[in-house]
Amino acid sequence: MANVNLIIDGRKISADENQTVLEAALKNGIYIPHLCYHENLKPNGGCRLCVVKQEGVDGVITSCSVKVKEGMVINTKDELAENIRKLTCDFMFKTHPSECSGCPKYGKCQLASISQYVGDTGRNLRELKIRAAGDETNPLMLHEMYRCILCGRCVRVCNELRGVGALKFAKVDGRMRVVIDGNSLKEADCRFCGACVEVCPTGSIRDKVGVFREDLPKEVAQIPCQAECPAHIDIPAYLRAVKEGDCDKAIAIIREKVPFPHALGLVCNNRCEDGCKRKGLNSPVSIRNLKRYAAEHEENKFWKETYIKTAERTGKKVAVIGAGACGLTAAYYLNKKGHDVVVMESKKIPGGHMTSGMPEYRIPTQAVLDEIKVIEESGVRIICNHPISNAAELKKDYDAVLVAIGTSVGKKLDYLPGSNLPQVYSALEVLQAQRLGMDIELGDTVNIIGGGNVAFDVAGTALRMGKKVNVICLEKDASQASEEERDAALAEGAVLYDSHSNEEIVGDGNVTGLKVHKITNFYFDSETRALVEEAVPDSTYVILCDSIVFAAGQVTGLTETFGIELNKFGYPINPETGKSGYKTSVEGIFSAGDVITGTKFLIDAIAGGREVASLMDQYLGGDGAIEETLTEREAEPYIGKVEGFADIERNEMALREAATRVCDFDLISSGFTCEQALCESGRCLQCDLRNQIAPQKFWNDFVSEGGEQ
Amino acid sequence: MKNLQADVVIIGTGPAGLAAAVEASEAGLKVIAFEKMNISGGAANMGMGPLGIGTRQQQDQMVDIDVEKAFKMFMEYTHWRVDAKMVKKYFEASAGTIEWLEDMGVEFAGAYKYFPKSEATWHIVAVNGGIGRNGGAIMNKAMLDKAQENGTEVFYETPAKEILRDESGKICGVNAQDKNGEDIHVDCKAVIVATGGAGDSPEYMKERMGVTYGKDLFNIVVPGLKGEGIKMAMAAGAATTEMSVEKIYILPFSDMGVQSVPVVFMQPNLMVNIDGKRFINEEQMQNTTFTGNAITIQKGAIGFSIIDSSIIKTYKKKGLDVVNFVHHVSDIDDFEQACQDIVDDPNNPDVVIADTLEELAEKCGINVENFLETVEEYNDMCDSEDKQFYKPSKYMKPIKKGPFYAGLFRPSGYGTLGGIKINENCEVLDDDWNVIPGFFAAGTDTCTIYGDSYMFLLPGNTMGYCLNTGRFAGQGAADYCEE
Repeated sequence: MANVNLIIDGRKISADENQTVLEAALKNGIYIPHLCYHENLKPNGGCRLCVVKQEGVDGVITSCSVKVKEGMVINTKDELAENIRKLTCDFMFKTHPSECSGCPKYGKCQLASISQYVGDTGRNLRELKIRAAGDETNPLMLHEMYRCILCGRCVRVCNELRGVGALKFAKVDGRMRVVIDGNSLKEADCRFCGACVEVCPTGSIRDKVGVFREDLPKEVAQIPCQAECPAHIDIPAYLRAVKEGDCDKAIAIIREKVPFPHALGLVCNNRCEDGCKRKGLNSPVSIRNLKRYAAEHEENKFWKETYIKTAERTGKKVAVIGAGACGLTAAYYLNKKGHDVVVMESKKIPGGHMTSGMPEYRIPTQAVLDEIKVIEESGVRIICNHPISNAAELKKDYDAVLVAIGTSVGKKLDYLPGSNLPQVYSALEVLQAQRLGMDIELGDTVNIIGGGNVAFDVAGTALRMGKKVNVICLEKDASQASEEERDAALAEGAVLYDSHSNEEIVGDGNVTGLKVHKITNFYFDSETRALVEEAVPDSTYVILCDSIVFAAGQVTGLTETFGIELNKFGYPINPETGKSGYKTSVEGIFSAGDVITGTKFLIDAIAGGREVASLMDQYLGGDGAIEETLTEREAEPYIGKVEGFADIERNEMALREAATRVCDFDLISSGFTCEQALCESGRCLQCDLRNQIAPQKFWNDFVSEGGEQ
Repeated sequence: MKNLQADVVIIGTGPAGLAAAVEASEAGLKVIAFEKMNISGGAANMGMGPLGIGTRQQQDQMVDIDVEKAFKMFMEYTHWRVDAKMVKKYFEASAGTIEWLEDMGVEFAGAYKYFPKSEATWHIVAVNGGIGRNGGAIMNKAMLDKAQENGTEVFYETPAKEILRDESGKICGVNAQDKNGEDIHVDCKAVIVATGGAGDSPEYMKERMGVTYGKDLFNIVVPGLKGEGIKMAMAAGAATTEMSVEKIYILPFSDMGVQSVPVVFMQPNLMVNIDGKRFINEEQMQNTTFTGNAITIQKGAIGFSIIDSSIIKTYKKKGLDVVNFVHHVSDIDDFEQACQDIVDDPNNPDVVIADTLEELAEKCGINVENFLETVEEYNDMCDSEDKQFYKPSKYMKPIKKGPFYAGLFRPSGYGTLGGIKINENCEVLDDDWNVIPGFFAAGTDTCTIYGDSYMFLLPGNTMGYCLNTGRFAGQGAADYCEE
């Protein structure tokens, strides 16, 4: 790469010989109007906006297609060049609507910006409007080609950069237009990558309203799965790795944000899929199941060496109370930042809800322990059977303490008569007893009160313990639970009593049944939160059982003796804000996870662990930077055509037969097959590729960046 | 978090913000301007030029208008329900502002009327030496260049979020956020709010004016006008004013399309309401404000402009009855085809075509009996005179030959007016009408000088008000900072 010297507008400039005159000028802050030129596309020289005068050459040259040469003298402000630009602008306005009002691109339109710069915003020559109606029939994107100025960037990006060719030029009624190569984008095998939207200078091709969130920066919002993930895992990148058959790489990418890829692959509530743009085509990519697939198919774990390497020791000591997902995540990152971390766990094994609050058949203990082992290998010390009764006392021996005990006490509705009988349990008591191998007296038949996911977790667990199971809930169809979990438990033999309200637990010393009645409707009073129901007259009866389980939520179980300020529900609060947060009432004691948010999902606990670790690192004198890179990214922009791409159906994991799976505590599905995983990961729209495309720049960007006009 | 220092922060770089930036930076102040779009100029980039009274252009063109005449006309029109001090000050400054722009290199094609009954106060910015469209954009660039030459820093895609005051109540800073979500804090002595109103916020228009988008108002939205400046100013203690819509009337779904359609339907022919009765002297249809008002008070807020095939033929042969620079076409050859395209578009209900008058009325949902009676009377009057509303005979063309065309007009608005209470120096006032030190506002966020209806008889008013109040605010901020 040799440099050449040239003069542009009287300024001496040194430029790489492979650059065009336009590139050299822009790089040096000299703005030359341009439209068909685009950093990611081959020069085309079609729009004639970038014309300049080269000394010694007749007429003008298009600066986007002429390479710099030694001794070149360029005048961008030449009168002929300026007049050509003005005429060019004016011609573009011949077909473009004369009123900008109503155009959603207003204020961000490159045509408006360029014409403002050039000084020709359209004259009164005869207008030749394009008679094309707006087209909103395609998913995700809309076309209003009456705004098109035929710069061709969409056609070129779709062909050159993507290799898809869903858009093309064609003559319609004797006039050149940009059209879809087929009756619809689906038919044209569009990959819905959004590149055409990204490069369109006007409002001709746009994302439909609602496809992306508007409250986030554009680059973040344009990858909705990642934006919705509380830990912001780079989802498109790991799906691409799965597609390439490189599960180790996929796990490395996931591990850049979360230390529990397998656990999440099994039980995450996948909000990423709610964001997935593909749901606008047919259905979202099955992201969680692909994560599980990657976790179960990785081989060499090349990431491990970097992953367990930590910063130089700082000599600071941190105690984490609770070895759940939040505490362990924070412990991993704090250790990584060089602090000595010890995690104290009251139960006999670490893992929190992952190993004692969810059913074994959804998340096997061994899978969780394997992931915890990696954290231990990085240097985190975990002490089990070690309950902490006072965080403030503990703080005396440590530089910082994290309270991450979660919500580990199940609620019982003690206002229900009979709730003090011996065989009345909370959901957590049953789940923990099963997971940790403790005795529990359930009898033959279990009545579970509650209609959320936890109720069906208990149902599945009790069924596998050989019990008969009834689930009694207020909601019609147990609508609080996910359909997936509800249907699995019902298939396994649980009996659902929906639209039922409880009167009392019946029993004389021991539980013998639950007195219930039917309801037609219910709600909770907005002020008192009291249950208001419309009962079916004379519908009271008793559902016989030997034990009762409340699946009615969990609490922290903390009291004042713990040494930090709590609110009336037992959650730590930060007196500065009056709310629960990462800081507590005691300097140096932090709190995160369910213990401040109430019972949420695994991914929320992990995300909270990350955030609090960063904050605690800063408290301990670090920079708080916990981002890490475990593998390189290569994303091929040339994605090519895939026949029938838009209609590829979502893959579902095969479930084991209900009759056999209920006999053991093994996972209810063995996950995606290799073929399914390849197909499913290939359904990804690769929204991240759009951020590779150079953002649209405006003349004032060059000016405000310190260049000359 | 990025921390910056400035004397003056300007929120919004439309004509008011830019004019303020030029004035403040000319006075040697350090100016930072926040713009949430990629482009400076705001809604004025689609405008054609500002009002000027007593200008050299008017002198050259022998236009008979001066400040006294304009002021009297204006106050008569507004029933003195508006700030006379501000009106006088603005009109008086307007000629100087035209020259001030010329000194920055802005060329004007001349002083023009918007429609025959208006005054020639509209100074159209020359596009390539003549009358074009969107010359406002060129004017705005000239101001931007000047402000930047004077050291003004403009941050694009960076909306301001909060205006800060210190314990003594003085303005002390502004918070903003850039496109990557990074917070920016500026310590400053003065702030000028000029964000252009809330014309793109149906929710805020509903809250402030009670109008329902899609029912009372079919807006030709200028994207981005969300009323943030008004909300920010109120949050910082500014008193608020009445807000109104700069009312016009449009074919809501066809305004962006082929121009001959709105142009032909806006000619002064027969306009009826859903009852099939006339409600306006159609000569007023060139005054979009008056016609917008008249349509608003009809049942269903709809007006039907009716023409027949012989009218179209006449227009094609002899030209239109009335033209203006905004709705200006060289010919209307494509009118019928464009109307047919609209009829064929299931999402566009703006045009109805029928072979008979009965069918036309039925398709439009107009009372057929009344409509036929109205057309008969109207056609009779075409032979004599308009005894009902006194429309000049030259505009009386009978409706006789099918196919017949109806254009369904609805009330619309260019945007909102008013919101932040200021005095004639553009100083922002609190609820007790006390000046908040260092706090200025300009442009449509503050414009209440028209009273209930936009003053269309002096065209160029909106842009003129923005430019001149922007200058007042910039000068005021400079004086304040020097003290």
